[in-house]
Amino acid sequence: MNLNVKNEEKETLVSLAGRMDAVSSPEFEKELGRLIDEGNVNFVIDLTELDYISSAGLRSVLVTAKKLKGKNGQILLASLQAVVKEVFEISGFSTIIPIYESVEEAMAAL
Amino acid sequence: MKNRGLAFKLILLILSSVTLIFLLIFGYSYMYSRKIIIKNIEKNAMNLARATVNQIDVVLSSVEKVPENMACVLDQSLCTGEELNNLLKHIVQNNKEIYGSAVAFEPWIYDGEKERYAPYFYKSSGKIRYSNLGTASYKYFFQDWYQIPKELNRPVWTEPYFDEGGGNIIMSTYSVPFYRTVEGKKGITGIITADVSLSWLQEIVASIKIAKTGYGFLISQNGTFVTHPQKKFVMNETIFSQAEARGDEELRRIGREMIRGKSGFVPFRSLLTGKLCWMVYAPLSSSKLSLGVLFPQDELMADVVRLNKIVIILGVLGFIFLFVVIVFIARSITRPLSALAGATEDIATGNLDVSIPEIRTRDEVGQLAHSFDYMKQSLKQYIADLTETTAAKERIESELQIAHDIQMGILPKIFPPFPEMPEFDLYATIEPAREVGGDLFDFFFLDDDHLCFNVGDVSGKGVPASLFMAVTKTLIKTRATKDMAPEVILNQVNQDLSTDNPSLLFVTLFLGIFNIKDGTIEYCNGGHNPPYIIRASGEIEAVETTDGLALGVMEDFSFQSKRVVLNKGDAIFIYSDGVTEAMNSRHELFSEERLEGELKRLKGLQVGDILAGVTEKIREFSQDEPQTDDITMMIIRYNRNE
Repeated sequence: MNLNVKNEEKETLVSLAGRMDAVSSPEFEKELGRLIDEGNVNFVIDLTELDYISSAGLRSVLVTAKKLKGKNGQILLASLQAVVKEVFEISGFSTIIPIYESVEEAMAAL
Repeated sequence: MKNRGLAFKLILLILSSVTLIFLLIFGYSYMYSRKIIIKNIEKNAMNLARATVNQIDVVLSSVEKVPENMACVLDQSLCTGEELNNLLKHIVQNNKEIYGSAVAFEPWIYDGEKERYAPYFYKSSGKIRYSNLGTASYKYFFQDWYQIPKELNRPVWTEPYFDEGGGNIIMSTYSVPFYRTVEGKKGITGIITADVSLSWLQEIVASIKIAKTGYGFLISQNGTFVTHPQKKFVMNETIFSQAEARGDEELRRIGREMIRGKSGFVPFRSLLTGKLCWMVYAPLSSSKLSLGVLFPQDELMADVVRLNKIVIILGVLGFIFLFVVIVFIARSITRPLSALAGATEDIATGNLDVSIPEIRTRDEVGQLAHSFDYMKQSLKQYIADLTETTAAKERIESELQIAHDIQMGILPKIFPPFPEMPEFDLYATIEPAREVGGDLFDFFFLDDDHLCFNVGDVSGKGVPASLFMAVTKTLIKTRATKDMAPEVILNQVNQDLSTDNPSLLFVTLFLGIFNIKDGTIEYCNGGHNPPYIIRASGEIEAVETTDGLALGVMEDFSFQSKRVVLNKGDAIFIYSDGVTEAMNSRHELFSEERLEGELKRLKGLQVGDILAGVTEKIREFSQDEPQTDDITMMIIRYNRNE
C-alpha cells in the first residue's frame, strides 16, 4: 500500500493506493495517528487507487474515526472503487463514515 | 607468488628493492669517484709531465747556451789552437751536463794545410780527454751533427746516436754553426757542438716512478725510444715498430701525435707489463724529444677498488642482516595470523568454543585477534539468543496449535449434525488463514422447530481475532433464547461487544432463525456479506440487506430483521469474505461472479459436496498463492417433510 499525505487549507488529504489489509493497515493507523497528534483533525481520504480493503483495513479506518470523534474532527472517504465501496456498504460502515463520490465533494462537505 | 606466504612476499619484495637501491647508489658512487680520480690523475700526470719536461728543458737550454755563446766568440775571432783547446776543456770541465764539446771547422779554413780540423774534449772515467775528430776514419763532414746544422744554417739538436770514433756513447748533440765574414762575404766557418749523454736523460726519466709499474720514456723526432725501462728498445726500436709488432693502431696514432709535438692524456697499454694504463705525453720545447709517462690504472685505482670491495662486503652483510630482520618481522606477523586462521577454520566448522590465540601486541594483528574474539563472543551470544527465540517461537507455535484445536473444538464439527431430521440438510466448513482465525459459525435449536444459525467474521486474524470470535460465539449462544427475534439477539450481542472494546475489533455477523416446519427464515445481517438463496430451480439470489452495522462498533446501533422463505429444495448459502476475496497470483479476487457460477454448477449435489466443490474451485483459482483470510461456508437446504 502507498500512502501520500498532502496538507490542504482546511484539511489533510491522504491518498491511498494498492491494498489495505492486515499487513498494511497498521501503517495507515500509525501515520494517521501521527497526523492527529500533530493537530490535524479533518481528513479526506482519497481511495481512487485503493484496489482492496480487508476487515483489518476497515478496523484501521474505524480506529481513526473513533480517535477523531473525541477531538471533534472527522474523516471523509472519497472516490471509492466499487469493490471497496461494497465492503463499506455491506459491513454497514458507510452508515457511520461519510462516503463521497469525489475528493472535491468531500472537501466541499467539510 | 600468489600462493606464497606473506613472509615470502615481504622478504622478496623488500630485499629486491633494497638490493636495487643499493646497486644504484653503489654504481653511481663508483662511477662518480672513478671519474674524480681519473680527473685527478690526469691533472697530476700533466703536472708531472710538465715538471719533468721543464727539468730536462732547463738543462738542455743551459747546454744550448754554451755552444751558442762560443759561436758568438768564434764569430769575432779565430782563437789559436791552444786558446781553443783551453776553451773547450774549460767548457767540458765546468758544465757537468755537457759530456763533450767540439769545434769542427770547414775544410781548409783553420789551417790551409789541413783539410779537417776538429778538436774535441770529452769526459771519460772522470777525466777530460782530448781527441781530434778530423781523422780520415771519422769523416765528421758527413756526420749528422755537422751536416744538418750546416745545411739548415741554424743550431740543431741531432737525433740521438752512438758516436762511434767520437765520444763512443749514445748521445745527442747540439750543434751551432759559426761564421766569418771574408771580403764582405759571410760564410760558415765551422760547427760548435755540445754533447749530452743520454744516460743523463735516462737517469732523469728513469727517476719517474708511478706506483709500482708506472714509468716514463722519451722518444725522438722519428719515434725512436731514447729512454725506456726496457733497455733493448733504446735506440733500437721506434714507437711505430712497436705499434707494428703489436698491431696497435692506437699506439701508432699516439706516436704520430707525440712526434708532432702535441700533448695529451690517453688510455694506453703498457709496453712492459701489458696492463691498462693512462699515458700523458708532452714535448720538450728545446729538443725534438717527446716525453711519455705511464700511469697503471689498476694500481692507481687500487684504493677505489678496495673501497668498493669493502662497500660490497658491507652491503652483503647489511643484506643478510636485513634478511634476518625481515624474516623475524614477517614471522612475528604471520605466526599469530596463521594461528588466527586456524582458529577461524574451527569457528567456520561451528566450533565456537575454540580459544582465540592470545596476542599481546596492540598492532593491527592484535586488533584483528581482539575483534575476532569479540565476533566469536557475539556469534555465541547470537546463537544462544537464536536458540532461545526459536524455542520461544516453537512454544508459541505449539500453543497456537493448541489454540487452533480449542477454537475448532468450540465449533460444531459433526456433519450431518442432525441426521434424525429429514426436514433439512446442513453443512459447514471453516479454513483459517493462520493457525487460529477470526471466522465463526454456529447452529443450535432454540426450540423444536427453530434452528438458530450464524456465520461471522471478526476483523483481522490471529490470536486477537480468535479470542474475539470465541467471545462473540459464546455471547450469541447465551443471548439467543426461545422466541427471541434475530435483531434482539444482535442488539444485545452488539451492546455486550461494544461496551468494553478497547482494541476496537468488530465482527460482521449474519444470524438467522430457520423454522423447519414452514421454511421461513427470520434474519438479521450485521454488516456481513449477504448470503445467497439457491432456488431449487437453480436460480441464485442474494438475500436482501437489513442495513446492519458490524457488531462492536456502535453500542446503541439498532438492528432490523427481514424474512425470506425457502421452498422445497431451496437452500441458503452463507459465507465469509474469505471466499470471494481469495486471491490468485495476479491479485485477482475469486469474486461473487465466480461463486455464483460455482453454486449454479453444483446446485444438485449433496450439501457437503457443494461446499467441497466450492473449496476445490477456490484452491484451483488461488493455486500456490497463500490464503490471506479465513474461508467459512455454511449451507442449509430445506427438504420440507411432507
